[in-house]
Amino acid sequence: MGVTAPARAARSLKMDGWGSGGLGAGVGLRREHYGYVLENRPAVGWFEVISENFMVEGGRPLRVLEQVRADYPVVLHGVAMSLGASEPLDLDYLRGLARLAQRCEPAWLSDHLCWTGAGGRNLHDLLPLPFTAATVKHVAARIAQAQEVLGRRLVIENISSYLQYRESEMTEWEFVREVAAAADCGILLDINNIYVNACNHGFAAREYIAQMPRERVVQFHLAGHRDCGSYLLDTHDQPICPEVWRLFEYAVARIGPVATLIERDDNLPEFPELLREVEAARVRLAAAGGAGG
Amino acid sequence: MKLAELQALLYRLITAPGGVAEGLVAERGLPPGGLEELIVGDARMAARERVAIYADAYFYRLLEVLREDYAATLAVVGETAFHNLVTGYLAAYPPTARVIQEAGRALPDYLRRHPLNEARPYLAELAAFERALSEVFQAADGPALEAAALGAVAPHAWGALRLRTHPAVRVLRCEWKVAETYRSYERGEGVVAAARGRHELLISRKDDRVFYRELEAGEGDALRLAMGGTTFGAMCEVIAAARGDAEVAAVISRLLGSWIAAGVLSADAPA
Repeated sequence: MGVTAPARAARSLKMDGWGSGGLGAGVGLRREHYGYVLENRPAVGWFEVISENFMVEGGRPLRVLEQVRADYPVVLHGVAMSLGASEPLDLDYLRGLARLAQRCEPAWLSDHLCWTGAGGRNLHDLLPLPFTAATVKHVAARIAQAQEVLGRRLVIENISSYLQYRESEMTEWEFVREVAAAADCGILLDINNIYVNACNHGFAAREYIAQMPRERVVQFHLAGHRDCGSYLLDTHDQPICPEVWRLFEYAVARIGPVATLIERDDNLPEFPELLREVEAARVRLAAAGGAGG
Repeated sequence: MKLAELQALLYRLITAPGGVAEGLVAERGLPPGGLEELIVGDARMAARERVAIYADAYFYRLLEVLREDYAATLAVVGETAFHNLVTGYLAAYPPTARVIQEAGRALPDYLRRHPLNEARPYLAELAAFERALSEVFQAADGPALEAAALGAVAPHAWGALRLRTHPAVRVLRCEWKVAETYRSYERGEGVVAAARGRHELLISRKDDRVFYRELEAGEGDALRLAMGGTTFGAMCEVIAAARGDAEVAAVISRLLGSWIAAGVLSADAPA
């Protein structure tokens, strides 16, 4: 399949709006919480699942997803599309993701603005790209191709990072904004990642948020990180810190009460403890006129 | 530097078995100014240290996945040996699949030629058993053959009856009693070394739970035959040949009952 011009691809895709504001506050569904969620049907607006964990042939994971989907909106969040890589997109992977999307009818599909491997090998990590006009063009064309295979618009997430390239010609927020515009896709704004990068690379987090095109921001992520002394590490194993909550309040006021997700992957607490963070997000969304979930 | 070259260079540095510093010494793709010409370093961290954050994340993320997938193997060899095993494994079998759970697929093969398997010759089989458990857990769904469906089969039609195993079924040939080692690990009794003993294991799934048991004589050959689709008559023949006792009809009837109870046969019979 050849690369499709973004504008042409967009016309053939579902463009009926994201409906993101109505979802309110949700949680990332993790295996350790399957039992609690299925037994208690907790009061959360929606669940986000890691797409690749459910790109299996069968068995319990898919059964759990079907049961959760029966009661909640679900978003598929991928970590392996490698939209910024140099080798061709993995069409088998995209078709598998399309099958999963057909099966669970997610509110939307998201992945990261990054590369994850080279030479047919996978690092299973999210690596930053040089912020250049050439990279914008390269990534936007790949997002357009992915959107065409998937038959729907993608939502791309800003990543946390620990290095910057000398060849970068623009700020990170300019890069995110230009890629999203060129690819005509949505943005998942990870507030913790902005905070981590602002500390690691020395920029103003609020300036980043202020420069986001509000009409494209579909979702927020909230998570915890660790202070490693000379840098912050995006670990998703801690509660959300006060600075990130304050940044979230600024983002909600500036952009609007879009769907918000509590993202916790390690050092998982009992589900009710996560519900307290969901409630804290819900209060802030409601204060801005959102559904709260 | 082109994006592809930059990514290839970073990939090599991040996955260098001896770490980024050692990788930099061996690297021939660097510009004259070194890594600092490509990546911004500052007073807090040099460019090399920044790449090292990704190198650590790469190794420890995959180590964690393999620790979970091969928990009994880890319990047998211990933390340090397992860490070193994974270091060598990732250099020999760098992940290529998009799904991280596939990263450990070849560990049993790697272990077969590894010194750890010389000291404990059952180790590769134990790892293969753990891999089979994972595969069966997430194998394709499909209806299992139920006893009621066989009630309608006329007596003369049994021999030609087409049967196939369910997709969530594996049969393993073993030289060591690794299921006993695994069971001791599961029970938290401290792992027991596997005794030598040639046998076959059936691993199957019912109601989303994975079960395993040792197979009887001829049962493994019969089930292997059924993996590609076969007739009940052909399965009976291999069981009869393996057992040669007068009670073979009763044995086959009992085995068929156990396969149906465990969901081992598929309701989607081959044409």
